[in-house]
Amino acid sequence: MRGADYVIKRLAFAVLTVFIAVTINFALFRLAPGSAVSNLSRVPHATPETRQALKRQFGLDKSKFQQYVIYLQQLAHGNLGISFANSQPVSDNLRTALINSVPMVFLGTIFAIVLGTLTGIVAAWRRGTKTEGASLTTALTFYSMPTHWLGLMLVILFAGTLPTGGMSDEFLIDPSFTTHVKDLGEHILLPSLTLGLVLFGEYTLIVRSAMLETLGEDYVLTARAKGLKPWAILRRHALRNALLPITTLIALSLGYIVAGAILIETVFSWPGIGRAVYDAVLQRDYPMLQGAFLLLTCSVVFFNLIADLLYFRLDPRITE
Amino acid sequence: MSALLELDELHVWFDLGENRELHAVQGVSLSLDAGQRLGLVGESGCGKTTTVLGLLGLLPPSASVSGSVRFRGEDILAGGEETIRPHRWTDLAIVFQGAMNALNPVQTVGAQIAEALELHEAASGREARARVGELLEAVGIPADRGSRYPHEFSGGMRQRAAIAMALACNPSVLVADEPTTALDVMVQAQILELLDALCRDFGLALLLVTHDLPVVAQLCDRAAVMYAGEIVEQGPVDALFHDPRHPYTRLLFAATPDLHGREALASIPGAPPRLDRPLEGCPFHPRCDRVLSRCLHEHPALRRLDGDREAACHLNDVPAEVA
Amino acid sequence: MSVAVRQPGPVIEAEPIRSRRGIVWQTIKRRPSALIGAGILLVVVVCAVLAPWVAPYDPHEQVGPVFGHPSWSHPLGLDDGGIDMLSLLMWGCRISLVVGFAATFVSMVIGGTVGVMAGYFGGRTDNVLMRITDYFLVIPDVPLMIVVAAIWGPSLFHIVIVIGLLLWTSTARVIRAQVKSVRERVYVKRARALGAGHTRIVFRHVLPQVAPLLIANTVLTIAVAIFDETALAFLGLGDPSRISLGKVIENAFQRAAISTGAWWAIVPPGALVAVIILGCSLLGGAIEDALNPRLRVAHLSARSFRLRPLVGRGPDAV
Repeated sequence: MRGADYVIKRLAFAVLTVFIAVTINFALFRLAPGSAVSNLSRVPHATPETRQALKRQFGLDKSKFQQYVIYLQQLAHGNLGISFANSQPVSDNLRTALINSVPMVFLGTIFAIVLGTLTGIVAAWRRGTKTEGASLTTALTFYSMPTHWLGLMLVILFAGTLPTGGMSDEFLIDPSFTTHVKDLGEHILLPSLTLGLVLFGEYTLIVRSAMLETLGEDYVLTARAKGLKPWAILRRHALRNALLPITTLIALSLGYIVAGAILIETVFSWPGIGRAVYDAVLQRDYPMLQGAFLLLTCSVVFFNLIADLLYFRLDPRITE
Repeated sequence: MSALLELDELHVWFDLGENRELHAVQGVSLSLDAGQRLGLVGESGCGKTTTVLGLLGLLPPSASVSGSVRFRGEDILAGGEETIRPHRWTDLAIVFQGAMNALNPVQTVGAQIAEALELHEAASGREARARVGELLEAVGIPADRGSRYPHEFSGGMRQRAAIAMALACNPSVLVADEPTTALDVMVQAQILELLDALCRDFGLALLLVTHDLPVVAQLCDRAAVMYAGEIVEQGPVDALFHDPRHPYTRLLFAATPDLHGREALASIPGAPPRLDRPLEGCPFHPRCDRVLSRCLHEHPALRRLDGDREAACHLNDVPAEVA
Repeated sequence: MSVAVRQPGPVIEAEPIRSRRGIVWQTIKRRPSALIGAGILLVVVVCAVLAPWVAPYDPHEQVGPVFGHPSWSHPLGLDDGGIDMLSLLMWGCRISLVVGFAATFVSMVIGGTVGVMAGYFGGRTDNVLMRITDYFLVIPDVPLMIVVAAIWGPSLFHIVIVIGLLLWTSTARVIRAQVKSVRERVYVKRARALGAGHTRIVFRHVLPQVAPLLIANTVLTIAVAIFDETALAFLGLGDPSRISLGKVIENAFQRAAISTGAWWAIVPPGALVAVIILGCSLLGGAIEDALNPRLRVAHLSARSFRLRPLVGRGPDAV
């Protein structure tokens, strides 16, 4: 298989990075001063039996190194401890939160990619004209707005027309399927719109840059010399080549969207991963914080890996 | 009888911003008959590539053009892109230098040739693939290589593929811009032979742009020498070599390294002039070894000499007088 | 190399650049985006520095009702504590800018050192340093900042350190690439041949060449640092004893400014942050662009070359 070594190398790197992230995670939390953070068993409102079980599970009375090993073992079993806040397994909380986050983030990202790509292509195509200036200015302006502030602005603008908090209306009793979907749709609109607006600026710049690069390549001149019309050249030659850097850069940025998600979910009270982090901080729910942080780091590694593999797939020149 | 391709007083300016302009091509006139081969010669930066891009309308938006480009009598430049595009590839095809980037790296070679066919000949699918195979064979590439990507080809093979692509729509004029630069000597010879054979077999007119004089000598009947955006001499290749009527031509031929190393390597001292400001007198005078006082102030016009030769030099006005 | 196809003509050099150091100033003068960016930053910095003398009211003193409406004496209204918004913004700028600059300084020092060492020494050092950078890159910044601030407590110092520790990676990468290319230049090789020590070479030859890029990167990092500070403040992890722009937004959010309809407590501080970040992005981006000149001709563009009416050349133009 072409480039099997390349894929394996990237996978190995990803695994190694996850391992390092896990270690750093452990170091951050367990080696922090004081036992408030490092003592996973101090779950408030927990029974003494639960506390003992936790102590045993995580070897909290053993040496740090042994704790590390046990930590890895427990991780392999999916045991991330028990949340201080709701006394549920951290992994369960995280799972729910993740499921809630995904549709909103996904929608926002798609919107950002589509809008960013369109404005980027327009800016590159109409280089040196006012249209380019306008699209760049718009992109930069939205890009410069603090995520949470933009969210608040949208809340101010749309309060009354669209729901501005939560994922669904708690007061809907036994809604029909369509009502439920409509309700979700209304709730998801503002947060994903915020995410999209904050993100697209970066994509505009990426796409414009990549397009300008390809538009200066000789094969574009050849295509023009062959008598192709501008749109065909743009689509078949320029865009197709620009897709390489565009896809990888976008994939790379996906891992970092979580930062924006945290702020947005806080503004809109969206019960996702970001909000989980915020709540965990507020409530000093260290096991949750630790688990969420690990999850977020792994998602970055994951998307980086996707980016690498995508690039490999799209560029026929990579054969190592 | 009008020539197949005629350039008449072609000028190209490039906008440099801040109200400055680069006058890259200054009134170039050429003519090419069917089946004829013309070499366009000169140092890097003399404007020969710009001339050729200009005639195909492939200039960037910072360029402005004046003059006329007539193909079979019809001025194709007059309407800009719209009048030129119909002639691209079907009448006038071009092969670029350094075919690496001239071919799209993410498309197979065959697909790129087929693209030209599908666009102009309304051949598609199996028919196009067959034709692609024929073209590749004609330039010495096995037909099955069409499914490979450009980076899988060697430099010489890429150049051949580019030539095959250029011939796809049966043009009457083939423009070759430095087709052998960046290739090693052995491959150069092969490509030149290929061009020779193809032009003969298909009756193509050839406009060959190069700074390499032996290449012109081998392939072309006539040559035009460019300096600082102008044609300074034009005529049959032999005449240019044996009896140059412009000091630049003479020095250029003298500067070509002799393969047997018998003569010392001569080079022309100095550098070409900047073209972003108007020049006074003959553009070559700072480097000329036979400069007259007239040359500093009076721009020599390109004048017809005996036969079908032209030269732009005041020395041709001076009847057997020593400067 | 298909030079002949791309460039109009190498006989002319475009705007000769005297020295790389002059680039920053030249860029500001020539490009409107840089000018606007620099202008914005200048105004903001001046305002922040002069706040104690220029701000109309004391930022801790209640001068009116909670969420008082904008009026002539208080053009931006009052916040949740009855404090004049305008003064609050001016004072808030100070802390935000201080955090931004300090954090950027930290990241610049770390990133610059790593970048220069990796680029200059190459080989093993380079590999190791780049590996470390890669791992740092993978860590999502905001979550890490949150975690660290949560564990070690919110104080201005901690925040600056945390932000700085996360932002150095991009600086390192950029500097490394530049140092690598500078290292190969003739005069550096000559200096080495003459026996100049590494420190000397780095400081006298490499750094000046790298400086403009470092400046561009610094400006852009400041933007990120300021944003990070507002994010942290918004999540309740800012320094509670200081007023920063982020804190102003957070206060408004916490005290239900929106439901009371007091938009003036939220819109201006965020708008100010946006403007500062925009200024940094414009300036930094313009310098970066100037250092990477796109001499490339666009082979395809919406506009086309222009046609001029026929020019005649007289029999013998003088």
